[in-house]
Amino acid sequence: MTGQRRGAGLLGIAAMMVLWEGVGRAFEGAFLIAGPSDILVYLGANLGLMVRALGETLGNAALGFVAGNLAAIALAVLAQLWPPSRSSVSGLALIVFCLPLVATGPILRILYGPGPGPQITLAALAVYYTTLVPLLVGLRAAPASWFDLVRSYGRGPLTELVHVRAWATLPYLFAGLQIAAPAAFLGAMVGEFTGAERGMGVLTIRAIRALDVDATWTIATIAALVSILAYSGLGAIARRVLLEKPAVILSAPVSTGRRRGPWHAAARLALLLGLTIGLWWAALELADLPSFFAKRPDDVWRAFVTAPDASATRATMASALAGTALFVVPGYLAGLALGAALAILFLLVPAAAAVGMPVAVALRSVPIVTTAPLLVLALGRGATGTITLVAVMVFFPTFVACLHGLRQAPGQILDVFDTYAAGRLARLVHVHVPAMLPAFFAAARMAVPASILAVTVVEWLATGRGVGALMALSASLSDYDMLWGAVVVVSGLSILGYAAISAVERRILSVYAAEQLGA
Amino acid sequence: MTRRGILDRRSVLKGGAAGLCGISAVGIMRPAYGQTNVNMQLSWLHSVQFAGSYIAQDRGWWDEAGLSVSLQQGGPNAPVEPPVVSGTALVGISAADYTASAVEEGAPFKILAVAMQKNPFVIASLPDNPVNAPGDLVGKRIGMALANTPVLQALCTLNDVDIDAITIVPTQYSAAPLVNGEVDCLLCWETDLPVAMAVRGIDSVTMLLADHGYAVHSQTYIATEDSLANRRDELVALLGGEVRGWDAYRGDTDAAARLTVERFPDAGLDLETQRLQAARQVPLMFSELTDEFGFGWWTDAAVEENIETLALLGRDVSPDLWDRSILEEVHGG
Repeated sequence: MTGQRRGAGLLGIAAMMVLWEGVGRAFEGAFLIAGPSDILVYLGANLGLMVRALGETLGNAALGFVAGNLAAIALAVLAQLWPPSRSSVSGLALIVFCLPLVATGPILRILYGPGPGPQITLAALAVYYTTLVPLLVGLRAAPASWFDLVRSYGRGPLTELVHVRAWATLPYLFAGLQIAAPAAFLGAMVGEFTGAERGMGVLTIRAIRALDVDATWTIATIAALVSILAYSGLGAIARRVLLEKPAVILSAPVSTGRRRGPWHAAARLALLLGLTIGLWWAALELADLPSFFAKRPDDVWRAFVTAPDASATRATMASALAGTALFVVPGYLAGLALGAALAILFLLVPAAAAVGMPVAVALRSVPIVTTAPLLVLALGRGATGTITLVAVMVFFPTFVACLHGLRQAPGQILDVFDTYAAGRLARLVHVHVPAMLPAFFAAARMAVPASILAVTVVEWLATGRGVGALMALSASLSDYDMLWGAVVVVSGLSILGYAAISAVERRILSVYAAEQLGA
Repeated sequence: MTRRGILDRRSVLKGGAAGLCGISAVGIMRPAYGQTNVNMQLSWLHSVQFAGSYIAQDRGWWDEAGLSVSLQQGGPNAPVEPPVVSGTALVGISAADYTASAVEEGAPFKILAVAMQKNPFVIASLPDNPVNAPGDLVGKRIGMALANTPVLQALCTLNDVDIDAITIVPTQYSAAPLVNGEVDCLLCWETDLPVAMAVRGIDSVTMLLADHGYAVHSQTYIATEDSLANRRDELVALLGGEVRGWDAYRGDTDAAARLTVERFPDAGLDLETQRLQAARQVPLMFSELTDEFGFGWWTDAAVEENIETLALLGRDVSPDLWDRSILEEVHGG
């Protein structure tokens, strides 16, 4: 960072602090927001408590971060070395990522007993998918000539992986890790809702009930600071590791759609369905969980199809889904547009990045339970508030992925543009944006389950409507058939959304990044 | 439920859990020689709400009875029923409405004792715009979780109030919407949000639903029929400790609050809040009835009232959901 940019950044942050303090003072007595001075006072009085809670949550988040990302790398390598597994791996990974906390939390608590097990697992579940998707893209982001070189030495896929793909995927891995850092911390915090004894999540629940705004905002600020530090730390490592300018990836456009018939797609879908049902059933049987709360596929089938009250059950589900769809679709689109637009803005106006970056990370990492009441007050309890919250959750992964994608603009081509003294806009349209497309579509795909998770969490904790609220209500009334049914429907819709995005993606990437397609 | 037995799952589950998470599993099984280890699943985060249990543990009353009790904290995503069904917890703290719906879904639960004779739900409002009686709700905006709509509906039915004349605003469980004027009143517990307001210097008015016909036993001790048949001694010892603990609690609620705060230094508990809460839950838990028959007792008439209110909530319950045999043994012996 140049001195000038750093100066602009510091100035911007200082201005924001003043603004924040002003808003805090203005709303004193409304119990909605605490300013920086309130936070410092609270921190001074409760330092020991905060440090112990932070240590607990941070430790669990770190373990989950490592476990989740290792799992993502292992899955990506498996999918690359054994191409037939690719669609099943990404499909199953998507389904597992879609499993709502309301359903998994209590089951994890029973499997692990007291202790940090559920927190670590939920942190890992919150991160592995957003690393896996960019990795799968990155493993293909290498020029065909490099693979020709490997083959000309008579080497196979393993050498390709170690010497070409591993290096090509590094920028994408770092994007994944940066997205994962705030998610791991939030995952560990929400994991504490399953009955953990201590940690930042436990303190948040307590503070909100106790009308302790200073405590709530101190916790949120610490969570945001931790995430910003982890994000910038990973960014610094990335800048040290990724020294080479991105290579030019030339690949011939491939035709889409006609290569394989509809039977192929149907067979893949059937395989995924079979695997899912098999694994679902086997996992519950192996863990030997009572069917009172751990419903098997046949239980759900009975409740939604053959039971006498099945049509009433389906109607309840349908009306909840309709309510959720109203929020999730606009929120998803808004978040996607915002993420890509902000990444492009930061490329064009580097000074904006110095101020905007911490805000962007903070927005993602502040627990939704803290910001929701404020947003609701500002935007009302109607659709706008919920849509905004969904957009906030979607925008961050999109933004980070696009930022990394924009940097994949090949150095040689930029050099050519420089020779012709082309302006920033021309470079953007002709070089950066096409280079960003694979990352953007990866983000658009990951954002499908992310937006659904976001909307269900908002509905569960804040608005009390839609599928998220239905799931929470079902759990409290022990209506586990409904809960598991909701899980199935939500996962199914995520897969459909994902497939729709993939179809658009194939059409566009067949022109701009054909190396991403093919078997 | 009928398809799979759950009687012999305990050992398997503990083995699985120990394998998955060795370190923490060691924590539960404190090696007290000759002691039986049992878990009790609490319904919420540690607080003075469960102080009777902390007193029993602190003074060694369970140890005397050959029981080593581990108290598992609850939370927003920690329902009580699954650990009790799966056998990881011998006893859970629930409420008659939740227990009734679990039983409808096939859980073999019985209510063994009732800590809160009076349901703790209140309508909380501010003194300059108070709700003193159900009729005052007409024309008001009430902040509550939509999931609790059946509770409000039951209150309205019991008191001939038109629920359509009340505006329901779905809110988070916090007093903030009332304090900043978004709503006129809240549906909450007598012992939490009003206490939070009092600690911040905000006076509030509370109308206890139990005083207007809403009869639903709360903070009930539940166990499975299997435990009731095969683990009676452990249940008697567990509830025996509870009864002694809660009697001591009633004798000095300030001491109970202090013990709670000291026991959980990482829980972020505030002593003043805990003291107020401890005092406020006494009238819900103790009455002439418990003076005469002991802590946790209930009458057949109370069961009838509960069944009527539960029917308004859409729950079809039979009187044998309540089982007094363990409590009789505790108070008889």
